Amino acid sequence: MSSDPGGTPPILDVRDVHKVYRTGTHALRGVSMRVRPGTVHGLIGANGAGKSTLIKILSGAQTVSDGEIAWRGEPAHWSSPSQALADGLAAVYQHMPLVPSLSVLDNVFLGHTGSVRWDRTRRTRELAELCDRVGYPLDGDDLVGDLSIGARQMVAILQALARGPALVLLDEPTAALSPSEREILFASVRRLRDTGTTFIYVSHFLDEVLDLTDHLTVLRDGLVVLDAPTASTDEAALITAIVGERLAAFEADAPSPARDLGEVVLAVDDLASGAAFGPLSFSVRAGEVVGIAGLLGSGRTELLQAIYGADRAVTGSVTVNGRDRPRGPQVAVRRGMALVPEDRARQGFLADWEIWRNISLPDLPRLSWRRMFPHTGRERAQARQAVEDLGIKTQTIDSKVGDLSGGNAQKVVFAKWLYGNASIFLLDEPTAGVDVGAKSDILHLIRRLAQRGAAVLIVTSEFEELIGSCDRILVLRRGALVADLVSAETDVHEVTAIASGFARHGDQISSRKAATS
Amino acid sequence: MTNPAAKPPAWRKALAPRAAGVVYAFIALLAVLTITSSVQGRPSYLSSVNLSNILEQSALIGILAIFMTVVLISGNFDLSVASTAALAGTVALKLIDGNGTFLAVLAAIACGALVGLVNALLVQKVGVNAFIVTLGTLTAVRGVVQAILDGKSITAHNTALLSFSTGRWELPVAVALVLGGALIALAVVLAVRSGPARTSAASSGADSSGAVREKLTATWPLWLGGLLILVIAGFRPNLLEQAVPVWIMLGLALVASLVLRFTVIGRNLYAVGGNAEAARLSGINVDRYKMGAFVLNGVLAAVVGVLYAGRFNSVDPTVLTGGELTVIAAAVLGGTSLFGGSGVVVKSVIGTLILFTLSNGFNVLNIGSNYQNVVQGTVLVAAASLYTATSQRDRALFRKRVARKTADPAPVLTKSSA
Repeated sequence: MSSDPGGTPPILDVRDVHKVYRTGTHALRGVSMRVRPGTVHGLIGANGAGKSTLIKILSGAQTVSDGEIAWRGEPAHWSSPSQALADGLAAVYQHMPLVPSLSVLDNVFLGHTGSVRWDRTRRTRELAELCDRVGYPLDGDDLVGDLSIGARQMVAILQALARGPALVLLDEPTAALSPSEREILFASVRRLRDTGTTFIYVSHFLDEVLDLTDHLTVLRDGLVVLDAPTASTDEAALITAIVGERLAAFEADAPSPARDLGEVVLAVDDLASGAAFGPLSFSVRAGEVVGIAGLLGSGRTELLQAIYGADRAVTGSVTVNGRDRPRGPQVAVRRGMALVPEDRARQGFLADWEIWRNISLPDLPRLSWRRMFPHTGRERAQARQAVEDLGIKTQTIDSKVGDLSGGNAQKVVFAKWLYGNASIFLLDEPTAGVDVGAKSDILHLIRRLAQRGAAVLIVTSEFEELIGSCDRILVLRRGALVADLVSAETDVHEVTAIASGFARHGDQISSRKAATS
Repeated sequence: MTNPAAKPPAWRKALAPRAAGVVYAFIALLAVLTITSSVQGRPSYLSSVNLSNILEQSALIGILAIFMTVVLISGNFDLSVASTAALAGTVALKLIDGNGTFLAVLAAIACGALVGLVNALLVQKVGVNAFIVTLGTLTAVRGVVQAILDGKSITAHNTALLSFSTGRWELPVAVALVLGGALIALAVVLAVRSGPARTSAASSGADSSGAVREKLTATWPLWLGGLLILVIAGFRPNLLEQAVPVWIMLGLALVASLVLRFTVIGRNLYAVGGNAEAARLSGINVDRYKMGAFVLNGVLAAVVGVLYAGRFNSVDPTVLTGGELTVIAAAVLGGTSLFGGSGVVVKSVIGTLILFTLSNGFNVLNIGSNYQNVVQGTVLVAAASLYTATSQRDRALFRKRVARKTADPAPVLTKSSA
């Protein structure tokens, strides 16, 4: 736990901070952290480590139970984000609170009360200066709703910078960005750091953190487990700090390449949907894990929804267990398909419902007397089983799923499909927003499913995970399948290169028409 | 793994203001009116006659509130119920003299189903906002009523509806006693039978009497309902005779509650209203549930219209005008969420009873009806505020705001890090 005592005085000094919620959760158990001016300070940790709590405390959204926060040497008593902002600490959150119906200019200067008169010329000039400093050009007249997600993220950052803060807190800013947008963001952060702005950078992506930050603080279970200059650490050390030995087990359990696969249970033939994707063809066998590697905007989510029958305006055919394309999700479920959606809060679970009622939802008639009267005892037994099987961290199965962390909520979404007749699993970004420990649990689970004879189709931009868990990887680019790779014979580098358009595997294209796109 | 000591007992949750507030409000209102009327030297407010009056006045709006709650749970909204009821009543009275009671009622109910279906198709299949669609049908259906009646009121000669609607049914005391006793016995049997089984999984102690108590509190609707029936049968047998619409309301409330609570249909309806997309991807036919709620609401609105028309055997173009707002107010008083996914029909019925007790109280106490709407509106907004302030998520927000103002009363800690 070094914190070089000879350096410049910290701009933000967190001293032995505790946080106990009214529910009794001891989220922070004495966290100390010193952020030096003009640096990028990485803050990482698994979900539930206390990261979110610390962010909320730093940005003024919550107060400490014990301990102290010093800002520029003075004790800070922020009780709202606006006070922190006034003192020069701005936070940019993962979910950007922008107004889509307003222009970039209006959004960037939203809430400014410097002058009663709205001086458009002055604001436009200020925006141009900001864009210049960041190195990302934006047209002030564009509507935010029309921008790409990456551009919106930049608007959010500009909005923070427009207040002239000394410290900017970035919470998972790259979660929705493409690699090129990520690079632009990194360049901007570095540029601003060199002109004196301090950053606290929170991310799940360890490569980013290693790449961008100067100093790292790792939290686990409300404690600081690693606090060191980034240069003195590496990915392996970080992973050990975050999860301990669990991930090592995950690495050792790679899929065996020579397995006996079953029949083709899912065949996609010339499937196309408007501008989103296609036409494309592929098939998945029982016991096989097939990954579709695609970046944001490649049509990956649309493809899964179409296979599941949720998009009715598609052409081409999908054959499930020898039967025709399901017309609607309820038919898909009856035929043994299961979808784990990308946006689990919106599509995966009911936040106000208990764990047990969420898990039994797709399978309720089976757990009911005469398929009509739910048998609560059976439902609860199944939920208890799921909590045990998947290692869902919760006090009781009566907890509301909305109160669980991302990883545990995702396990609940998986559990919905594990005890019924589902034999074809469609997984859309199954590890998005999930901490490293839960991620490894979920990847294990996917392999167990395949061993049980299920067919699994994973769609994700986390290529490393695909290589670790899939038998085959199809690369989707701009709605077309451009490569069909055996995961044992490829690596992240190749997949990334193909997915982002640097290389082509013409000889391995599975779709007949994909090459001509 | 599960620690029963950590979670609050079920009965405490059931008795919390958020869960049972409407019951407390109703009891408090009855108490205030009883005391006031006795202080003023009027006949007892809680007389069987007056209580029956309140029930009879509430019955039709109560039926509408039950199925409005179903629509609200499904995540939709229906403003057209009062107009639909007016149309059904008009059709029934128009046809009853020429075509007989059966055909008239059938046609009336078909009209209700049709309006419900139109609402359902426009909202679920075309995708227009439910508020706008039903505002449209509210107006258009009322227009149809006016066109049929051409500004005049009509009266039927056939009195079949009249005698049905204004008839009274009596539950024999003996039957009531048996029924009440059976409910209590059932609650006890359920508690004793599954009590020990529960605990052996939950706690390893010999605390099985505590588990029986826990189970008894969990089955409170059973024994409380049984007790209520016994008390009424024993002390107020007059209350066992009620107008037909009251029995219909009670029966529908019972059936709707059981279906919502104990069937797959009910569970799925809550799921559809709580998160339609998650329900759809879980394989539930969302459209079927949401459309079904609309059609059901239309059918029951038609039933109410027929009962209403039967009351005086006549209708005029303005019958039930504005009734939809009373119905929605009753559902909101009962704690139904306008965003879908939550609601309890019995509480909506009690919400209806509160609204009619208020107006009945004004009449009985002779306060004058000028302030009646002021009080009803205030009660509605106060109830909604109370629900919002006591709901879990919002309460946290509220506390945070208070905490900000009072310089953080943070809990003191003993410093200890594991």
